[in-house]
Amino acid sequence: MNLAVFVKHVPDAAEADLRIGPDGRSVRAEDLPFQMNEWDRFALEEAARLKEATGGSLTAFLIGPGEHEDSLRRCLAVGADRAVRVWDESFPTLGPAAVARALAAAVGEERFDLYLCGAQAADDGYAVVGPTLAVLLGVPWAALVCRLELQDGRIVCDRELEAGWFERVELALPALVTVQTGINEPRYVSILGIRKARSKPLEVRGLADLGVDPDEIGRLGALTRLEALEPPPPGREAEMLEGSPAEVARKAVAVLREKGGVL
Amino acid sequence: MSVWVIAEHRNGELREVTGELVAVARALGAGPVTAVVLGGPGETEAPAAGLPAGIDRVVRVEHESLAGFNGVAVAAALERVAARERPAVVLGAHSAAGMDWASALAAGLGAPVATDVLSLHRDDGGFLAVRTVYAGKLQARVRLAQAPTVVVTLRPGATEAAAGSAEVPAETEAAEVPAEVGRRFVEWIQEAAGEVDITQADVLVSVGRGIGDPEDLDVARDLAEALGATLSCSRPVVDLGWLPKERQVGISGKTVKPKVYIALGISGAFQHVTAMKDAGLILAVNKDPKAPIFRVSHYGIVGDLFKVVPELTKAVREAKG
Amino acid sequence: MAQACSKRRKWRGFRPPSLLAFQRAKAQKRWFVGKLRDIEGVPLAERYELAACLQCGRCTGGCPVGLRSPLNSRRLLYEALIREDGEVLVEREEVWDCTACRTCADRCPRGLEPVSVIREIRTLKIEEGRIPQTVMDALESALKHGNPWGRSRRKRFAWADGLGVPTLEEGDEAPNLWFVGCTPAYDPRCQEAARALAGILRAAGYPFTTLGNEESCCGSEMLRLGELGLFEELAEANRALLDEVAPETVLTTSPHCMNALRTDYDPAVSALHFSQVLARLADEGRIPFRREVPLRVAFHDPCYLGKQNGVYEEPRAAIAAVPGVELVEFDRSRERSLCCEGGGGRMWLEGLGEGERNAQQRVRTAADMGVDAVVTACPFCLLTLEDARKTAGLEDALEIVDLAELVWRGVEDLPDPCGLETRS
Repeated sequence: MNLAVFVKHVPDAAEADLRIGPDGRSVRAEDLPFQMNEWDRFALEEAARLKEATGGSLTAFLIGPGEHEDSLRRCLAVGADRAVRVWDESFPTLGPAAVARALAAAVGEERFDLYLCGAQAADDGYAVVGPTLAVLLGVPWAALVCRLELQDGRIVCDRELEAGWFERVELALPALVTVQTGINEPRYVSILGIRKARSKPLEVRGLADLGVDPDEIGRLGALTRLEALEPPPPGREAEMLEGSPAEVARKAVAVLREKGGVL
Repeated sequence: MSVWVIAEHRNGELREVTGELVAVARALGAGPVTAVVLGGPGETEAPAAGLPAGIDRVVRVEHESLAGFNGVAVAAALERVAARERPAVVLGAHSAAGMDWASALAAGLGAPVATDVLSLHRDDGGFLAVRTVYAGKLQARVRLAQAPTVVVTLRPGATEAAAGSAEVPAETEAAEVPAEVGRRFVEWIQEAAGEVDITQADVLVSVGRGIGDPEDLDVARDLAEALGATLSCSRPVVDLGWLPKERQVGISGKTVKPKVYIALGISGAFQHVTAMKDAGLILAVNKDPKAPIFRVSHYGIVGDLFKVVPELTKAVREAKG
Repeated sequence: MAQACSKRRKWRGFRPPSLLAFQRAKAQKRWFVGKLRDIEGVPLAERYELAACLQCGRCTGGCPVGLRSPLNSRRLLYEALIREDGEVLVEREEVWDCTACRTCADRCPRGLEPVSVIREIRTLKIEEGRIPQTVMDALESALKHGNPWGRSRRKRFAWADGLGVPTLEEGDEAPNLWFVGCTPAYDPRCQEAARALAGILRAAGYPFTTLGNEESCCGSEMLRLGELGLFEELAEANRALLDEVAPETVLTTSPHCMNALRTDYDPAVSALHFSQVLARLADEGRIPFRREVPLRVAFHDPCYLGKQNGVYEEPRAAIAAVPGVELVEFDRSRERSLCCEGGGGRMWLEGLGEGERNAQQRVRTAADMGVDAVVTACPFCLLTLEDARKTAGLEDALEIVDLAELVWRGVEDLPDPCGLETRS
């Protein structure tokens, strides 16, 4: 079975004081550690397991500058045979439709049996690239897959819905799935593993190499345009309890008793 | 100009978020509101009958391929009708269903798309969507390019739902869907009932990824025991297999409304917050002062769980005598 | 990394090396490879000369977790000898119970290294990628943030807020460099000890500086968890800084950092433990003691300070210098000190063993001895003993005090300039 996995290298915003750049539209990335998008880790693990179970090949795709190659190296270490990074100077400002178009172009004439994406990205959270890519590739898809099973020439997947419900669907191959977290337990990728994977091919392509008209990408990129980033509204503005652990505990007990009606 | 609302239904029932979509469509003032109900044979009548007030027209579309609200078929069916009728906006929910069909519809139409939108505005430049990025730590204003149709999905729970009853006779429209879309609905599966029902608890002590270690659950268990509370959790704790799914508070788990909700090491992703924000009293403990959970909490403590929680447990025990 | 280090490099702009930079550095042979090698190719048995093993069981007999855990070093060595493929060994979950205290190696009559064999089995597991989630989190955090505690690098120096602790980032140069370490920097309990040490060094007029937010995890625990490559990455990041600063002395808060710098880094960095610096300062009469500290204390020798580096006298000398303190000895002290089970990456592993933990046994013994406090000089010991004190219900009977905190109590002039809580 020939598999393709699409990954994104994103800033880890947990515990970070995000600072908005001077253009008002970007986050000052130099402050942040980057990592493979959480959902993509699960997609990669699922792809690697399928490859181990069925044989065949696994190719990893990523759109991003050179610094983002760490995520592709992870893919190669986990079992991808080959990696493709696409980059163009015009990319940083592009929305998800343009990203999907560039990924489809990177796949090009190659045909895979199953394409896997993370269900969404931790940074912009659009959850758009997966189904859009499926439309561009002309294959059926299922989003938010939390279980996946291969059954002669098709896959049976469970999609995670709301409130403890799931939907079981069958997809004819070739197909695309967007993977929900928790579908598996992603393995640890060691530094030695990443170093060893350096002998595997990693291609870098520009738009011209892919035969894509930059105007088309520009037009798709402008469909959804980020105008401004701003701090979120304050919301409820929690009253912060301060002091030593013992003091805050005492204050919290008072709150639980007086406002919560317990104790 | 018109605004389409894609009615969301499952297993014969209209989902609450549809009312929110109608309210937003109405407030947009971009023309009459059409509710589109898609589904397999016999699947659209009941949901169509439950539509709220504020709708000018109801269209039912049934087809074998649309059974189970099949996202691939829904996108294909909508694409054909929308290309012909050119609604200014197609509004859906940023739900498991919306995440399946909406961006595919936009791709088919070549239309601008904004997902997980908190509020949608119309001005001289067209449509402006407000949404969150970086797990709720920042807010983004997103401009949708001028186009015959734009596709927008709204975050469930971000708007007050429209009430009342539509009382509009539904038209039916023949679906132009290929018989074979490459995806087939098999069945709905409901998670088996577990030992505890967290929705019935008055007090929930809820843990998130901040606990770091399954053994550290004991710290939260002790507090729950001292308070006579039930232990619940956020999604990552279930993903890691540290607690069963029946204890998950969140959109894909359970929606809870206890008297008191104590969030320990929960960052506050909207999928979680949506399902607990109506609790009577919310107290959050997190080491990150910028964690979004503090924006829905009534009281907050910035600090190390393993310092604060044992002290809290001790103080609770003392208070109870 | 390495080629980016001009003498005038801007500190503020420093970023930990990416994999790519690491590869470049390696290609230019600015890299140290040292004792670590790719473990595939040569069987464990050959590299560790396991054929010499007498199966006498002295290793197992001395193992501090041997009584409670399924970990049996004698048997593991035997299996490593007869099974060349390592397949059986890699299934062994109990290798995560090892605290890497090195008692087994010290006791072996043939000079073999069971502790290293166990570490290599861990490496096999790491390379397969199937490891406990808590270990995975610690390793990934160390790579991403430069500390195993999942905390932002930008907050590494937050423990010293308002204390005026010098850092090279701020251009504060000094002949002595204090390598603070991750646990003292981030753990709230250990931060108290770090703040006390800062207070003492300043009060003693000891000129020092720190790496501030630029310091990375020393890699000690990463190496002992079996993540060799990650250890190398971290070591290189620190070495680049140390080479540039070229301090006269490197002192560490943690014996684990000291041990890593001294024995794992290649070439070695001649680091001192802070107890050694305090002993010298006390001997020279430079610590301005102002107060009596009327406590009867027992000193718990950290494995990485005592057994592994032979530092037994200095912490005792520093304790003895504090006016009013009476030092008594555990029966199991110095070379026979009971491991607290905090080393070898065990801070991120609960262990399979059932029953009373060593740290609990330790605090109960101390309580029976009638001491007021157990003094130690290692952040891991401090945390495991603090936990044990609570578990054993001895919170009112016994204090766990870091050596720096004890000395500081004799120095501090109220009101407390370091915000250090004085516990009673």
